[in-house]
Amino acid sequence: MIDDNDSPAARERLAAAQAELLNALLANGPAPAGFDEQRLDVERRALLSKRRGIVRMLGPAVADELGERFRPLFDAYAVAHPRRAGSRAREDAAAFAEWCRAAGELPVKRKARWKFWQSN
Amino acid sequence: MAGITDLGVGIGWRSEIDLTVERLPGVDFVEVVAENLHIGRLPESVTLLLERGVPVLPHAVSLSLGGADEVDLNRVEHLGGIAEAVGAPMVSDHVCFVRAGGLDSGHLMPVPRTKDALDVLVANVELAQRNLPVPLALENVAALLEWPGGELTEGQFLAELVERTDCWLLVDVANLYANARNIGTDPERFLDEIPLERLAYVHVAGGVEHGGVYHDTHAHAVLPEVLGVLDELCSRVKPPGVLLERDDNYPSDTEIATELAAIRAVVDKHRG
Repeated sequence: MIDDNDSPAARERLAAAQAELLNALLANGPAPAGFDEQRLDVERRALLSKRRGIVRMLGPAVADELGERFRPLFDAYAVAHPRRAGSRAREDAAAFAEWCRAAGELPVKRKARWKFWQSN
Repeated sequence: MAGITDLGVGIGWRSEIDLTVERLPGVDFVEVVAENLHIGRLPESVTLLLERGVPVLPHAVSLSLGGADEVDLNRVEHLGGIAEAVGAPMVSDHVCFVRAGGLDSGHLMPVPRTKDALDVLVANVELAQRNLPVPLALENVAALLEWPGGELTEGQFLAELVERTDCWLLVDVANLYANARNIGTDPERFLDEIPLERLAYVHVAGGVEHGGVYHDTHAHAVLPEVLGVLDELCSRVKPPGVLLERDDNYPSDTEIATELAAIRAVVDKHRG
């Protein structure tokens, strides 16, 4: 560790390390040095599972319609579209549904059903 | 600055179990997730509890105070606004980061236990404290992985944080158990190292094991081992309050009442 009390420098180093970790966990980025790869896998799966559960809760109609395809489709969507800072969970659910429609996995024109989303 | 005393035994208020929380006997206080509430439009159930004199403590999950990003003062202001709306003596969030590099993890991520991370955390906590109307308590999280290069134990890290910011501690005994199981933290050493006189209150929650890893789900029953950690804590200090967190897969009122009674039994065992 660099011997440095300068707070902006500490913040920069921490920013880089935290960004590298989230990129690995959420966007299939390279594993950061020094981490146990198995643990990274466990964490990656836990975060994905939590995100999937929230999207399922917010958009049960989409999950039901996709049935067994929901999980693999969501997992493919999620790694290609990590949640951006400042985004909301319901935007994630809407983006997933849109992604499914664009990929031909869901029929288009389902908008009316989305009006009844409960707020997060 | 005085702490909070005699909160008793409580439960996390969630809209899905609002009626349960209202009618359960032995709910001395509740916590609300600040991000789920709107200032000026409190849920009827929360208003009812306030009218009954039940203390309501706002708990935040999105300040990301352990993160390197600049603190989002809108989030701090919202938390403070909720505190004022419910007349809370204290608010809380976690020692964690949620966002980094433009991404949102959707979860409470552990911070490295380094001097760099502590310096940033201290600066963020001080900024939050300056913008909050009431004292801030910070909670230990459950970690599924360890950062390399840790320079302090978790207990030492939190003790330093308290020393430098005068914040309070919200000790989650289920997270202590999870960390003991998953990354080998020693709960007793943790309890030895933290300043127990700065204990705000305690969280208890359930979880489940999958493939050799304990997951702090808040959606399963509280394990006896977690109550064991609570027992250990109570043998050292009388906690000002203990609160059960249940966030999903809600059981019957009876099961929740049984868990609350089990928590109360542990606390009462050390009284007198």
